Amino acid sequence: MKNGRLWKNMLIAVLIIFLILLPFVAGQYTITTLIRIIYFGFLAVSTGFLIGQGGMLSLAQAAFFGIAGYALGLLGYERGVPFPIADILAIVVVLLFAAVFGLIANRATGIVFLMITLAFGQVVFAFALQNTTFLHGWAGIRGIRPPILFGIDFRQTANFYWATLFIYIIGLFILWRIVKSPFGLILNGTRESADRMDALGYPTYWIKVVAFLIAAVYAGIGGLIATYNTGVITPTTMQLPRMIWILLMVILGGAGYFWGPVVGAIVVVWLDVLISQVTERYNLVIGIIFVFTVLFSPNGILGYLDSLRKRNKIPFLRNFDRRKMAQEKESS
Amino acid sequence: MSKKWLILSLMVIAGLLLAACGTPAVDAPVEEAPAAEAPAEEAPAEEAAPEEPAEPAMDDDTIDIGFISAFTGVFSSFGKMQKEGAELALDEYGYEVAGKPINVIYEDDQLDNEQAVTKAKKLVEQDNVDVLTGLVSGDEGLTVGDYMKDKGIPVVPMYSASEDMTMREFFPGVVRATWTGAQAQDAFGYYLASELGYKKLYQIAEDYSFPWNESGGLIRGFCRGGGEEVRSVWFPPGSTSDFSSMIASIPLDEEFDAVYYNGAGGDAVNFVKQFVELGMVDKIPLLGQSNTFEKPDLDALPTDIVGALSAHHTTDDLANAEWVDFSTRFNEKYGYDPSGASAFAYSSMKMILEAIEAMDGDVSDKEALVQAMLDVDMTDDPRGPVVMDPEWHAAVENVYIREVALDDDGNLYNMGIITVKDVSQFGPYDPEVYMEQPPDGNTYPSGVCAELPPEMLEGGGYEFVPFGQ
Repeated sequence: MKNGRLWKNMLIAVLIIFLILLPFVAGQYTITTLIRIIYFGFLAVSTGFLIGQGGMLSLAQAAFFGIAGYALGLLGYERGVPFPIADILAIVVVLLFAAVFGLIANRATGIVFLMITLAFGQVVFAFALQNTTFLHGWAGIRGIRPPILFGIDFRQTANFYWATLFIYIIGLFILWRIVKSPFGLILNGTRESADRMDALGYPTYWIKVVAFLIAAVYAGIGGLIATYNTGVITPTTMQLPRMIWILLMVILGGAGYFWGPVVGAIVVVWLDVLISQVTERYNLVIGIIFVFTVLFSPNGILGYLDSLRKRNKIPFLRNFDRRKMAQEKESS
Repeated sequence: MSKKWLILSLMVIAGLLLAACGTPAVDAPVEEAPAAEAPAEEAPAEEAAPEEPAEPAMDDDTIDIGFISAFTGVFSSFGKMQKEGAELALDEYGYEVAGKPINVIYEDDQLDNEQAVTKAKKLVEQDNVDVLTGLVSGDEGLTVGDYMKDKGIPVVPMYSASEDMTMREFFPGVVRATWTGAQAQDAFGYYLASELGYKKLYQIAEDYSFPWNESGGLIRGFCRGGGEEVRSVWFPPGSTSDFSSMIASIPLDEEFDAVYYNGAGGDAVNFVKQFVELGMVDKIPLLGQSNTFEKPDLDALPTDIVGALSAHHTTDDLANAEWVDFSTRFNEKYGYDPSGASAFAYSSMKMILEAIEAMDGDVSDKEALVQAMLDVDMTDDPRGPVVMDPEWHAAVENVYIREVALDDDGNLYNMGIITVKDVSQFGPYDPEVYMEQPPDGNTYPSGVCAELPPEMLEGGGYEFVPFGQ
């Protein structure tokens, strides 16, 4: 048991050091791709957190991603609000939207919840597309740039990468603590049986709303990074295919696992880059991989590794997910 | 169970291998310039560092051209047309100029701006391209342009027509040998008002930047030529396939002279079909923007629209030797006639290749490459003589006013009726005066001619030469 934890911590430490040192050895486009992995990772983590921890399949997450970008563009770029304030305001705007959506959508569960969030996502997308007076329709907002802080120019790819990596690690750490906190357990309980949790006296409705807000913040942070990275925010950022692409990441990585969306984002973005260099039919290839994953390993890549672990094939991954283990122990 | 896993793993591994194998072939050789020159260690490591997959450096002489377009998604037909046109030009040179192989790296952006910037980054950072070209839509052009501004790499937009790329957001690296949205429409609008005597137009338009620019050009030309009003109805592109209510609300009793449909692609096909089905075609003339009656969409339109006018920089029945030659070779290779988009791609790619040839294959000086492109003699361009504006790097060229007509086989084509020579992107206006105006939108310019700024009503008109003379 102890041995396994040591292994795991060492593995994480090595991985982080590797990621920090990467810009010194890897090509610039590799770093650009990693930045994309991080911001889509934020969006995937946001979606995966709701699915995995709360059992809530939300299709509105891409909208929060885009709302943050638009708020940044409108406030930070067009009205010149300085760096941290514009970004914080953008997250506040995301929270306001998420509160409205969350309060309404969480009155339902399952397929109805999915449909309501889908509707919200599409309303935001259509509004951005059709509003030409201040959101500029198709054209969106162009020319957004990362700030220069304390003499560090975050327009430089490497500096921007280190900043986003730092935010990602902190963000994942905080979310990990949330998942493992009593709140996280209550949320898990709500996922398993909301009625039973209700009977035990937990305010399940509000718990789901809070989870929805947390997820929206993560989507929003991803949106801010994405907007700084590309310099533009347009309606296509929020379109349904984007959201489905994110769902693909979550399911491919393993929706039931905390690290599933993270792994999924890495795999899908990287596959996208690799395969699109070879064929224009890259979506087809990714689709085939997806179908096979769902057919043979419904729990995604991590589910597959997990099953290997259970068969003692990868000893140091034994403690990969202690929660699952505990559950199994309980059920046996 | 384990068999299944084996299959899956093999699938994934095979996919990855496929990707890995393909990489060197598609990729540019590693840029070794920093090592060859001086040990520039002060430079940020990540820029000088070689690519992660250290592919075997092919001959360093290869000239890399990045090509971003929409090869999948709703607008993939435009990407295909562009690629075909460009490939025809590349074939002419056998993918080799001044003894150096030309390597074109095609990147698909699905017309999603996030993808467009990402692909531009890939071409710049990983492939170290010498020229970036392609680009279909106006917003895509401006977005990629925004990223490319300070990269010092020439950008050659093909079909992307946002005028600001060569105007208000101009940067010295951009060379557009093609068009802007307003360029042909200004002449068209002037023609409608001054020659046909139209006073009032009813416009039904897609609500995004390209139609805004087309509309802006049309309104300026129309008002200058003596028109009174262009009333506009805007709808989001791709939002509906049912135009019956929009068509039914065309006020036939208000003496509009014509309906100007400002849209293209699937929307245009649906609109025009319903316009015919509802019998409007007999009640009021139909006009189109540059793309409305373009091939291959034209083949899907009903033959009842014979006589509908539009304006573009190409027309299907151009008879000059260069066009006939281009069109014949295009048809031989692909089995159908070229469209404006493929003609523009052909010209742009040819200009790039001729400029590289003029520099004897040494493209290290990008400013000189831009100058060489501007200096390319394009008077023998298939679509008629093209002269590059040295200041704004945009094309001065012919506008053709065309009529939809039936050929002997019963197919629709665009028949040229009027040639307007040497039209600039500024129309007849002084560039300074023109750019002081706000960019075209769905509220500017006003459709009421009396409300236009007085300086936009001056500048006069064009000489309309019967086509073919």
